[in-house]
Amino acid sequence: MPRGPDGDDEGVRYALPQPYREVPHTADVGVEVEGASPEEALARLVLAFAALLAGGGAVEVEREETVSVDADGDPARAAVTVLRELLFRFATERLIPGACEVRRLDGRGAELSVGFGRWDPVRHAEGTDVKAVTWHATRFERAGAGWRARVLLDI
Amino acid sequence: MKLRRVHDWLWEIPREGGMKVPGRVYSDGMPAPDDPALVQVSNVAFLPGIVKYSLAMPDIHWGYGFPIGGVAAVDAEDGAVSPGGVGYDINCGVRVLSTRLLAAEIRPRVHDVTAQLYRDIPTGVGSSHAIPRLTDAEMDSVLAKGARWAVGRGYAAGSDDLDRCEEGGGLAGADPSAVSERARKRGADQLGTLGSGNHFLEVDSVAEVYDEAVAGAYGLLPGRVAVQIHSGSRGLGYQVCDESLAELTPSMARYGPDYAAIPDPQLACAPVSSPSGRRYLGAMQAAANFAWANRQVMTGLAVRALCHALRISERDLGARLVYDVCHNVAKLEDHLVDGRPRRLLVHRKGATRAFGPGDPRVPAAYRDVGQPVLIPGDMGRYSYVLAGTARAMEETFGSSCHGAGRLMSRHQALKLARGRSIARELADRGIEVISRGKKTLGEEMSEAYKDVARVVGVMASAGISTLVARLEPMGVIKG
Repeated sequence: MPRGPDGDDEGVRYALPQPYREVPHTADVGVEVEGASPEEALARLVLAFAALLAGGGAVEVEREETVSVDADGDPARAAVTVLRELLFRFATERLIPGACEVRRLDGRGAELSVGFGRWDPVRHAEGTDVKAVTWHATRFERAGAGWRARVLLDI
Repeated sequence: MKLRRVHDWLWEIPREGGMKVPGRVYSDGMPAPDDPALVQVSNVAFLPGIVKYSLAMPDIHWGYGFPIGGVAAVDAEDGAVSPGGVGYDINCGVRVLSTRLLAAEIRPRVHDVTAQLYRDIPTGVGSSHAIPRLTDAEMDSVLAKGARWAVGRGYAAGSDDLDRCEEGGGLAGADPSAVSERARKRGADQLGTLGSGNHFLEVDSVAEVYDEAVAGAYGLLPGRVAVQIHSGSRGLGYQVCDESLAELTPSMARYGPDYAAIPDPQLACAPVSSPSGRRYLGAMQAAANFAWANRQVMTGLAVRALCHALRISERDLGARLVYDVCHNVAKLEDHLVDGRPRRLLVHRKGATRAFGPGDPRVPAAYRDVGQPVLIPGDMGRYSYVLAGTARAMEETFGSSCHGAGRLMSRHQALKLARGRSIARELADRGIEVISRGKKTLGEEMSEAYKDVARVVGVMASAGISTLVARLEPMGVIKG
């Protein structure tokens, strides 16, 4: 877990935009991110997902919420489960993450603090209508000195 | 990937490793051996209880777990049901309505018609509130009854819409109690909405008829206006699939080594007869019913929009449902396998049921000629109506292709569309398109898709379906 500037147990808060790559897929879209730590990779994956929803438009964070998931020791499962939860929030409340801090990512699952903004039909007109987070070709693995995470999204 | 030619239109992936059956791919020429979709055909052949072949139609392309354009029939008792073999958009499907209108007379007023349809049928990201939000009781009724619920509320083209839907527009095994609160929440305000992506509603002309007798039986006359609706179960179906995959992905190994050997988590499956398998089937069938109700509500809305825009009566419009088919579904069906009748669960993921003449499951009005097989193309070219054949019953469990199939990723398509106005290009060719987002038009432009004429040509050459009519778009609404 990255430490806060004072060396306490606080994580690092990431905000849009964060670097990610689109992974080619014939019908849908994949995103891949890298991070110095698994927590950074997960935070960037969350914000890559948010960037697709927002279509490059800014997201004004209105509220902060804790998102927790259980995931039996598999960080790829934790990542997919976090995104599934965030997609449900988007589908039912039109909320898009604009900032994210991974407080915990371990053998039991993950806990994040997510700053949500509201989807705006004008500002986010170029956004992608993500409909599902798939398990196909999901990766969450060491890459060199850091970590790489990838998911494919059904659109 | 090794490929063996069976005949001019069919290629076989030999059985090896954990494959329980060979793969078979319909194609005009040898498929590209490095196509990732072929690996998916091979992976599907691992499914416990799969019968004969893992099949791929000529519009096959890379999906998740299953290829899009895949068909897998498993034993209904001992086989596995795979939510990934149905897909997220449960009972995504298409229907065609015929009308009495002459295309030549409507063409000058296509803008008014398309604009009215766009106003009355919500499209795009999270489109909602075509009709008032469903109460819990109404949702239960939709999930149990399917299209019948919508017909009962006056959303219909004619008096025989239900007779002209696959399965009468509803699956009897639906279990509304298996559909979660979350799935219900995603769907409660989405009935009667088109959605986004490749979903569309088109006003078409019947541009060419290849078989007058069959087209006549289907009510498709040259020069008339037809309406095509392509949509599915919206957020509700996605949530049902999502939750089933999340349940089965970590737990399928407990069903034994055949399940533990499944090579892709998106192919997660459970025995048909297991509690998890039965629960998924009940929820999936309920979501399929939601999709039929969705297309049925849009049918009623489209009929009213056309009458309003053209200032004509429903009698003058003369709309009648030709047929409604599912593209993403798993259904219990009886088929002859090596001459013996067997009860199978047929997964069609991006494939269309295509039952031939004489089959009692084909509506009486079409029983002499075979089931209408509706194959949408892309928004700038054409779509086809085919008929099912006896050969489809022998070779593909009565299945055919479902569309053009993507040629380019959305990303590639957007790059190609940069600096162009796709709407203007289509307007110059006499096609009025109204879309919620400019991006959608780039992603969905004609060049992004295979030519559907080639796809249906393979099915016709292989004897799986016969050509009946070609529809060409005049007005299109998209998300």
